[in-house]
This record gives sequence, C-alpha cells and structure tokens, in this order.
Amino acid sequence: MKLSIRPFILSAIVILVLFPFAYLLLLSFASGWQYPSLLPEYFGWQNWRVIFSTETGILSSFLLSVLISLAVAISATLTGFLISKVVSYHPQKNLLSLLTYFPYILSPVVFAACLSYFFIKAGLFGKAGGVIVAQFIIAFPYAVIFFSSFWGERVKSFESLTTTLGGNSWQKYIKVLFPLAKGLILICFFQTFLISWFEYGLTSIIGVGKVQTMTIKVFLFIKEANFYYGALSCCLLIFPPVLLLYINKKYVFNKLI
Amino acid sequence: MFLEVKNIAKTFHKEEVVKDLNFSLSENKTLSILGKSGCGKTTMLKMISGLVASDHGEIFINGENIKDKAPEKRNIVYLYQEDLLFPHLNIFENIAFGLRLRKVSQQEVEERVNQIISALELDNQGQKMPHQLSGGQRQRVSFGRAIITNPSLLLLDEPFGSLDTGTRQRMQQLFKKLAHEFSITSLFVTHDLKEALLMGDEIALMEKGRLQVYPSKEAFVEDPATGVKNEITFWDSLINQNEIKEMRA
Repeated sequence: MKLSIRPFILSAIVILVLFPFAYLLLLSFASGWQYPSLLPEYFGWQNWRVIFSTETGILSSFLLSVLISLAVAISATLTGFLISKVVSYHPQKNLLSLLTYFPYILSPVVFAACLSYFFIKAGLFGKAGGVIVAQFIIAFPYAVIFFSSFWGERVKSFESLTTTLGGNSWQKYIKVLFPLAKGLILICFFQTFLISWFEYGLTSIIGVGKVQTMTIKVFLFIKEANFYYGALSCCLLIFPPVLLLYINKKYVFNKLI
Repeated sequence: MFLEVKNIAKTFHKEEVVKDLNFSLSENKTLSILGKSGCGKTTMLKMISGLVASDHGEIFINGENIKDKAPEKRNIVYLYQEDLLFPHLNIFENIAFGLRLRKVSQQEVEERVNQIISALELDNQGQKMPHQLSGGQRQRVSFGRAIITNPSLLLLDEPFGSLDTGTRQRMQQLFKKLAHEFSITSLFVTHDLKEALLMGDEIALMEKGRLQVYPSKEAFVEDPATGVKNEITFWDSLINQNEIKEMRA
C-alpha cells in the first residue's frame, strides 16, 4: 500500500496556522512562565478576571473600541452607499473615483501627521470623536469604492420604475435600493468595522495615547513586556473579527453565491 | 383628447434626439409606435413619463398640463423591455408594490392583487420568487404590477423584445385582453412591424426624432417608409416562386 504524504503536509500547515492563536490563548491563561521552565508557574483564570478590574482598563478599552468601530462602520457604510451613487452617476466619475484613492497613497501615520493640524484646530485631538473622524476618513473612501460596482443601468432602471409607480426618494431607498444592496451593505459594514478595529497609526497619533483602543492597548502591554496581558488583549482583539467572519460566512456570503 | 403632446423636443450634446413632437390619443386607446433603434422612441417615452426633462413643449393628460409635475405624481407607468421584477419580493408583493407605496389597506391589497393574479393566469404563483418563473410569466407579473395602480397612461418600451416568438404572440393577445378589461390608455413602442399593426388602435412611425401618426392603418400600409409594402412584396414573390416550382414539378 502506497503511503500518501499529503494528509501529513496538510495537517502540518493547519497546525502551523493555528499554533500562534492556540499559543496566544495558552499565554493568556499563564503567568510566571520564565525560561527554562517547561510549564508556567500559574495556569488559570487569574488574567481573564483582570478584565473586569478597572486598573488595567482592558474592559473599557474593549468597549471603547467596539463603540468607535461601530460608529465608523455605520457612518462609513451609509455615507459610502449614498455618495458612491453620486460619484457613479456623475459626468466626472473617473476623476472623482481617482480622488477616493487619495487617503491610501500615504501611510496612515504620515496621513495622520498631515491631518493633525486640523484636528488640533477643531479640538478633536486626543478625543474619541477625533479618532472616529480620522478612521472615517480611511473607511469612507473604501466604502465608496466598494459600492461603485452596485450602481449601473439596471439599478437606474429599478429606480425609474419605482418613481413611475409612484415612489418618492425615501421609498426608493427603503423599499428598493437598500433591499437590493442588502448583502453588499452587510459586507461593507463588516469590512469597515475591521478597518477601524485594527487601525493603529491614525489612532495613536490623533488619539495621542488618551484614546486607548484595544490595538493601542496590545502595543502598550507589549512595550511593557507584559506578555500575559498582551496575549489576553490579543484574544479580545481577535474575538469580534472572528465573530463577524462567522456571521458573514453563515448569513451573508453563502446567500450571495 | 385624453393625451395631447405639443411641440416637445430634446437635444443631447447638440444632437436633436426628439424634434417637435405633436400627437394626441383618445382614452382607452393604444398608439403603436414603430421605429428603429436610436430613433428617439425611448427618449420620447421618458419625457412623457417625466424621467427626462423636455427642452420645451407641453404634455396634457385629460386637459391638465403635467409637464412640470414630478414623475411620481404623473400616474404614468413606464415599462421596460426587461421585466425588472424586484428580486427580494415574491410575486404577490411585486404586484402589490405600487399599492404598498400608496399605503393602501391590507384587505384591499389582497383583493386587488388576487384579482390581477387571476386575470394574468398566474393562480397559485403568488408565493414564488421571480427567479422561479419563466420569461413570459415574469413579463405578465410586470404588467400586473403596472396595471394594478390604475395608471392614466401606460408606456411600453418594446415590452416583448426579449421573448421567443410563441410567448410573444401569447403576450400580445393577453395585453389586448387586459387593455380592454382594465380600460388602459397606452403608447406601445416596438421595432416589429407586425406587432405594431397588431397592438395599436392607432399607429405611428418614428424616424430620426420625428413622429408621424397615420390617420388609418391603410395609410400606414400604403406609406413606403413603413416597410409594409416591401414586406408584402417579399412574401408575394416567395409564394409566386413556390407556385412556379410546383407547376414545373
């Protein structure tokens, strides 16, 4: 019987991919794990209980991150949907589409440095509102580009038909355009949520360390060489995206294909 | 006259697409408009429905000038060649769509939609989704969705263009029946000569943005520009050739 090595290679790849996540989870339960000890001094829920203590501020960072990402995702998805329609039907469509790529020409840190003057003047520096605005500047063009494929002659015909059937602009959006674009809207919401959730460069500069999102918190713990809290924060950082990916795959993607 | 169109015109990028259009139509009648692609038929229909603004001219429905009225308030339904059924709604809700926009009571919606479903010979199809229907059935639903709102005027832009010959014939008969049953006034645009003759109570030819309405079908047949004469000559010569072949045989 010929022995196939394919299952072994596949298993090795799966283990290699999953190992960092498993190790991260393991680390979040450990403390006092010094070289050359094979096992940690403590293994239990002690680190996770810390989430609920105000001292580390992990829970407040998590909630703040959720709040900022939700605000960015909702505002970017809705405005992106509406503005992409204007851009797609505009006579200068190509020029406007080109402009939407502008925020991605510069790195987020350089971009934030360029914008910081305006944020200081607007009184948004070091505030959660400022971080939301800064992240929106990145997420919004993404949403505009994302929705540009939705608008076309067929959607225009649906709009015209609705109008001649007696529908006003509001009814056109509520009864036709939003339901037609439902799948795309959900995907865009997930994507912009993720853009905001993992954003570091803009947040660190506009937030000036005062707005401590989960990403900022992870870097702070790593800088302090506190690997156990760092691992714990990473687990919390990964949890919402994994949940969103699961929902996306189960309820949205499978229905689109 | 129920519909009166006076001197409407449209220019796109310095090209005059529709030139000083003048015609009228009585209530409950269908005007067939024959025209080739790009002759300005669609622009004309879109100006009447209000989807495209005319450069000048006036449109009267039952004596009222509707030129400056918003399209959603004109009560003129424009039907495309594509059925454009809403993919997120079932057949019942697609037909009920116009009534839902007008916030008609649920009981009345049910009564009127079921009546239309029966008239369209679509019994027991109400809960199906559009992708589960054939092309002809979808086009029937599209008609039902337009008719149920009791439009003052129905504008049909080559509605059977994408159907096969058999389905097309059945749809033509069904439209004639529905137009009579629901007292529909309509403009029926087509590039098919036979369809134009069959569908219209009156008939017109559109060429390079100009519309000529004929006083009778005979006058339409006699005009060489319509191509009817050529068609008759073609079929006659074909029949004659066959007869000669049969005689020789």
